[in-house]
Amino acid sequence: MAEALARGFIAKGVLQAGDITANDPSADRKKVFQSFDANAASSNVEVVENSDIVFLAVKPQFVQPVLKEVREHLTDRHTVVSIAAGKTLSSLLEAAGGDKRIVRVMPNTPCLVGETASAMCLGGRANEEDAEAVRKLFSAVGRIVQVDEKLLSAVTGLSGSGPAYVFLVIEALADGGVRAGLPRDIAVALAAQTVLGSAKMVLDTGKHPGLLKDMVTSPGGTTIAGYHELEKGGVRAGLINAVLAATQRADELSKL
Amino acid sequence: MEAAAQQELAAQAQPSGLRERIGFVGAGQMGEALIRGFIQSGVSTAANLSASVRSEERQRAMQQLGIQVFGNALLGGAEALCEASDIIVLGVKPQYLDSILEALRPHLGARHLIISIAAGAASAYVLGNHATLEDGEKAYALFSSVGLAIPVEERMMDAVTGLSGSGPAYVFLAIEALADGAVAAGLPRDKALALAAQTVSGAARMVLEAAGDNSLTHPAVLKDKVTSPAGTTIVGLAELESAGVRGALIRAVKAAARRSEEMG
Repeated sequence: MAEALARGFIAKGVLQAGDITANDPSADRKKVFQSFDANAASSNVEVVENSDIVFLAVKPQFVQPVLKEVREHLTDRHTVVSIAAGKTLSSLLEAAGGDKRIVRVMPNTPCLVGETASAMCLGGRANEEDAEAVRKLFSAVGRIVQVDEKLLSAVTGLSGSGPAYVFLVIEALADGGVRAGLPRDIAVALAAQTVLGSAKMVLDTGKHPGLLKDMVTSPGGTTIAGYHELEKGGVRAGLINAVLAATQRADELSKL
Repeated sequence: MEAAAQQELAAQAQPSGLRERIGFVGAGQMGEALIRGFIQSGVSTAANLSASVRSEERQRAMQQLGIQVFGNALLGGAEALCEASDIIVLGVKPQYLDSILEALRPHLGARHLIISIAAGAASAYVLGNHATLEDGEKAYALFSSVGLAIPVEERMMDAVTGLSGSGPAYVFLAIEALADGAVAAGLPRDKALALAAQTVSGAARMVLEAAGDNSLTHPAVLKDKVTSPAGTTIVGLAELESAGVRGALIRAVKAAARRSEEMG
């Protein structure tokens, strides 16, 4: 994930490779960062001293120990950005110090291909400037919205878990194509490209999906015939239930 | 500099571009998107593009793109368009195809390549009886410059219509429903919609790009990778399976393909 973010920031020009410093217990991972001209550090403290924005991309169980390790070196110029799942702002502030600028970000898996849907919330002394900086960075690898921390379970239910729902949809569309006579490989390619292109239409035009649907359903045509099957099948309710159920599970897990 | 030399230079400046002049009969949203895409990708230039459109409003829109504009093909525009084009792209609604082809026929010559486009985010083109392999390559160059081009056999066109022709409407429904779910969970509408659309876009991109070598990754393999034991994702997925969403999508594609067959 950290690699995908770094590569994405560089590819879109929001950062230069030389602006990035990384540390990892594994020398191989550091070599990967050096391979695209980012700097390798030999300690977490060294990363902090050479940075203004510090990304915490360690596994959740290491977040607090690492923050405690670098706590004394965090000054008021530093913004700490945590992408660790499930680590709340209060747990981050407890480890880093309540006067620090913390931003918690929930990215999702497509970050790996530079198309994340993510949400951020601010903690401690984090301000509008921090939000702007994080927004600018994450806009290079997808999209980000700002929410109150209490809505992160809902974000999990939608964009955290959402990619799996979409994989299901793409596979089913491809199955439909095969049912209608297409070879499998053509069916999957068309299904994936159709889903991508349609989502881009919503994002690029800013139009309501219902309005876009109206625009492509001509009277007595093929599209409204297919669409009817989805409504008959209660697909909308299935998707709503999926998001709600995943949100509820996220709430349960956060209380553990 | 001599006009011929200038032309030669211009042609060389776009090594990946087609020299053929391309004329659009009908340029609604799909046609306009293709024209813009062809210009932006460099596979063609405004000077080599033209369109024959019915309404004045569409004529103005086409003029704004810097391409040559002819009037309604059924009212005399056909001759001028055929004369000004080597490749003709038909972007009219199915019910007009017959009369359009009749209007074009007297003005078509051996050099003309006709491409009929199906609506939707993806393009599938058909090599007709007299089209050559070279024609196929030209069509592929055009359509792959704006997204995806997959050559299919004519007998598959109804299935393609049912899937990628009609597919966008299914995706719009899914995005709206995902946003509704997030609103039910407490997110404000605008953020719910932005996240929903972006999630769908990103996930599709993973199928297309996760392998890193232009090969597709099986959606079920990706699904396995993101469903951790008793996590949030598998819980959501179980709801989709309970609701029979897969079956409904298969029926949707089949129903649309059947309707396409009826209409053909």
